[in-house]
Amino acid sequence: MRALVIDDSRAMRRIVSGTLENLGFEVNQAGDGREGLDVLDGGYVPDLVTVDWNMPVMDGLQFVSAVRSNPAWRSMTIMMVTSESEHTQIVRALAAGAHEYVIKPFTADALRDKLALLGLLPQEVVL
Amino acid sequence: MSTLDTGERRRSGEHRPVITELIDEPTIQSIAEDAWTALVGEDEILVPLPGELPGDVLSSWVDVVGPWTGTVVLTTGRETAAGLTRALLGEHAPAELDEEDIADAFGEIANVVGGNVKAALPGPSALSLPDVGAAPAVRNPADLCRVDVLWRGEPLSISVQGALPALPVH
Amino acid sequence: MKILVADDSRVMRQIVIRTLRQAGYDDHDIVEAEDGADALAKVSSEKPDLVLSDWNMPNMTGIECLQALRASGSAVPFGFVTSEGSPEMRDKAATAGAMFLIAKPFTEDTFREHLDGVLA
Repeated sequence: MRALVIDDSRAMRRIVSGTLENLGFEVNQAGDGREGLDVLDGGYVPDLVTVDWNMPVMDGLQFVSAVRSNPAWRSMTIMMVTSESEHTQIVRALAAGAHEYVIKPFTADALRDKLALLGLLPQEVVL
Repeated sequence: MSTLDTGERRRSGEHRPVITELIDEPTIQSIAEDAWTALVGEDEILVPLPGELPGDVLSSWVDVVGPWTGTVVLTTGRETAAGLTRALLGEHAPAELDEEDIADAFGEIANVVGGNVKAALPGPSALSLPDVGAAPAVRNPADLCRVDVLWRGEPLSISVQGALPALPVH
Repeated sequence: MKILVADDSRVMRQIVIRTLRQAGYDDHDIVEAEDGADALAKVSSEKPDLVLSDWNMPNMTGIECLQALRASGSAVPFGFVTSEGSPEMRDKAATAGAMFLIAKPFTEDTFREHLDGVLA
């Protein structure tokens, strides 16, 4: 499973990437929506994209709209990462095409649970 | 994947409820009736019968973000929305209503209905400011609870609709 | 007495004022504010005896306004009139220093119940 983590905070990128790597994801990073699109344009098409809502250059909403307008990227699951004070914007993000959201601060377990529901856990094999 | 059920899926944290597990039509009806009695008039009645919405409709809505995330949407004919506005403004209603008056009044009704729906759902959750315009699209038909009523003979619908897409089948 | 009514909805401000009158509080001065920031400024300039405020407003919410007031040392009696009446909201309101929370939709009786101790 591949993931792309987009956040203008290096600390957040580190935390989210670390969590996803522990869950078995191969992770790439970007510092804003524009960079994120560049990564996708470069041919790296992840199963999961986590996008911070509030970023310079191109924010989460703009990124989601750009992604959803490209049929080649329709298979990606987009998870918005947002803070408590921005959370009433979440429905707008979902309407633009995001699939799920998580509110900071979130635990690794909370993220894992959402990924499990979405069927995105690489280890989601029942033996 | 084997067929052995280890309970892995059940144990794994959140179950994501759809609205029909959390609220029903009679509750929404009752919330709307309380709102109408207080805002529109003591003797106002909402008849739980569907009617055909006219071509020119207006919607107002508020978003709820929490264990359940979605939108409470009111939809009615533009003329009916104007009628509601007059009723709310009472003696303060101007001779000519403008868009702002209607957006304000119709938005406020959505705020009151939505706020009470929010209170009936598991929390903690947050409510957005109301918005007015073309109704937000239904994202997941399985995550929808809708009540159709007649107010003074005019159709009005109250839709409580989830914002998350259906979970993938796997 | 002077009452400050804060709500971003003009309709709702009128309904609150109407209900105050219907509840028998009809000889008070009413001042209106259209958001939390406006309310904060008007508490300073108008010195009301009571603030009746919506919770959710643009620019500054009712709870933020109350928190700012209390932080600045204002003890003005403050009550919420809001569409959300959950236990958490009531707790939050009380913790921030509100005297009461009236949930919409409300009646003149609800107003009397909460305001009898506050307004003459």
